[in-house]
Amino acid sequence: MNRAAVAAGFGVIVFVAAACTTSGSTPSSSPTLSAAVDQGRPVGNPNGAFRYDGAMFATRCDYSHSAPDDPIVAPGRPGDSHLHDFFGNPTVDAYSTAADLLDANKTTCDLSDDTASYWSPALIGPDGPIASDYADAYYRVAPGVDAAALRPYPLGLAMVAGDALAGHAQPTEIAGWGCGHAPEVTSEFPTCSPERPLTLRVTFPDCWDGKNLDSTDHKSHVVYSGTTGCPSEFPVPFSQLTLLVAYPVDGDPAGLTLAAGPARVAHADFLNAWQPEALATNVRACLGRGVVCSVPTTGSP
Amino acid sequence: MRRTHLVGLGIVVVGVLALAACSSSSDDSGADSDGVVHVPEDFDTIQAGVDAAEPGDLVLVAEGTYREAVTVETPDIVIRGEDRAGVVLEGDFELENGIRILGVDGVVVENMTAQNYAANGFFWTGVTGYRGSYLTAIRNGDYGLYAFESIDGIFEHSYASGSPDAGFYIGACFPCSSVIDDVISEWNGLGYSGTNSGGDLYIVNSVFRENWVGIVPNSGTYEPCFPQRSTIMVGNQVYANNNGQADAIGAAQLAFGNGILLAGASSNVVMRNQIWDHDIAGIGIVPLPEDDPQPVTSSELAACESGAPDEVLDVDEDALPATIFWTAIDNMVTENEVSDSRLVDLGLNMVGTTPTADGGNCFSDNIFTTSAPTGLEQKAPCIGVVGGDFDEGSFDVGQLIARDKPEPVPYQDVDLPDPGDQPNMPDAKTAKARPQRETPKFPDLASISLPVKIGS
Repeated sequence: MNRAAVAAGFGVIVFVAAACTTSGSTPSSSPTLSAAVDQGRPVGNPNGAFRYDGAMFATRCDYSHSAPDDPIVAPGRPGDSHLHDFFGNPTVDAYSTAADLLDANKTTCDLSDDTASYWSPALIGPDGPIASDYADAYYRVAPGVDAAALRPYPLGLAMVAGDALAGHAQPTEIAGWGCGHAPEVTSEFPTCSPERPLTLRVTFPDCWDGKNLDSTDHKSHVVYSGTTGCPSEFPVPFSQLTLLVAYPVDGDPAGLTLAAGPARVAHADFLNAWQPEALATNVRACLGRGVVCSVPTTGSP
Repeated sequence: MRRTHLVGLGIVVVGVLALAACSSSSDDSGADSDGVVHVPEDFDTIQAGVDAAEPGDLVLVAEGTYREAVTVETPDIVIRGEDRAGVVLEGDFELENGIRILGVDGVVVENMTAQNYAANGFFWTGVTGYRGSYLTAIRNGDYGLYAFESIDGIFEHSYASGSPDAGFYIGACFPCSSVIDDVISEWNGLGYSGTNSGGDLYIVNSVFRENWVGIVPNSGTYEPCFPQRSTIMVGNQVYANNNGQADAIGAAQLAFGNGILLAGASSNVVMRNQIWDHDIAGIGIVPLPEDDPQPVTSSELAACESGAPDEVLDVDEDALPATIFWTAIDNMVTENEVSDSRLVDLGLNMVGTTPTADGGNCFSDNIFTTSAPTGLEQKAPCIGVVGGDFDEGSFDVGQLIARDKPEPVPYQDVDLPDPGDQPNMPDAKTAKARPQRETPKFPDLASISLPVKIGS
């Protein structure tokens, strides 16, 4: 995929961008948009299961930086987004295309081939933004999906998972909050212990229309698989990406909010710029063969 | 369900990768009529040679430096260097794994070196049947030789140094039915690590020295097959594992200065090992706290084999505490010689995690000077009556945490010892390929005697 094609993908982005520029204000519910983002939800609870078993490759990506940029929702418009925490490719900014990220070939992830970019709205405490510690990216296979049929993400695939404008609680299978790696996921900030600090969990869609790298709402080109795999309109099965973002936060969550709004607007963005050959190998050989290829580096043996 | 379901998944996909665009042979295999693929003579890279090989073939690699990360997706092949020190896989701290074997059974790697990989030197995952022989793994970012969710394996005649996790690791398997024999592990975070592994798992006739900590089987909910149980450690030399000049993950820092530490580890046998020169314990048995555990239920405890001990843990999701304690029970420590331990030669501390003070652990016929609690062989004998005051001179596990420890040196920067003249595989250029298709022969423990101290 060349730079022009990636840029063309962004060309169709129009209306959600404005909605995500309301940093600090409470977004209002939009029935039209809600319909547009009705993409189902994952089967099971990928946001609550993190044991290293079966088909997976995973990597820890250290916190890179925070910026009011969003190369998917507000491309070319630095400062025009709510504040985000970025993970993975450290060169990312509002102008970044996937080709730029690929060429830069840099990452904060343990897996050096993961030069993609991940970002999520900044967590805001009473004294201002609270930088996250890291994000763990888990690439797995959703139940019902034929692992042998998985395809790697095309370069430049852009996805937003979770509803940045949610007026009410979202399905926690898509986006929610937890403590450490505990299975429980909630729409509101939980009270966490020091042994298990606050985490955001977001699971991305895993079925693609096979045509569009992005869409106007950054969601309509992908959906979640069901118990029988991908629907015919979205015939290309991907790995299922679950992002766990860890914060140095425990105790009473009163006073916490997101740069995008209250806890219920939890979401995350992904712009694929993995080194293509490495991603293809991992999808085919790790997920296709049902094995654990890598786990986040944690300090446990 | 047994772990073999993973193996089932692993062989569903028959990726016929022997497309071998550049094969010089007459059949679809890249091998000559003897089933040998020569690198770089037939194929420029090990990866291309591996992709061209068919089950049963030998990929024979000539001396040279190979900057590649090899993924193996063909079962029953043997990848062999012609010279152990002269065939070097070089990761330049950027490539992830020297050679990784993904869900294909029987693959053997022999007689070569992998160094400076960001993750592992040699890595098998999700396989039945594996062997690593005459391998050298140096300065790799996670493990040297690494087997995960794999059974029926052998690591032998191999050397690993400079990994912040373990030099040698066999984890997430039960029964593992695997053998580590005649290896040297030094200057790693952990000499050996085995999370949730055991069952006909033998570590014999090997050397674990100058790591942060020597041999550490442990339990954890983050990997399947918990709890750790039933590993047999016999005839090893374990010494001077107080080396803070290397790199170390958090767990290795915590366990710093111990020879053999059974941490939340059960039903293991520690026998006829020569253990000396440790700041904390020569042999220690302690429970292991795990923060932020995954859910633990009876069904998951039986995930790898029926008959897993059900008394260990059974916690529903909604009752899962922020920290759980893995008990260390029913271990046998016998006929070892343990000396020159600064805190204690033999240490046992259950800190109230088991109904009895001994936790079913026993100590007999060891040669040692100090124990904690005092008189440990009298209080917790392997044959005889358990009893006595276990608080008298108790094992101060606080020493594991609350003491000054060095800062780990980033693994890329550690000034490692020269591995020395590690032996070559005999007849490496001519020996037939021998894939690991069967459960390995287990060592005859009766024939293994207490080794003498190196240098004495």
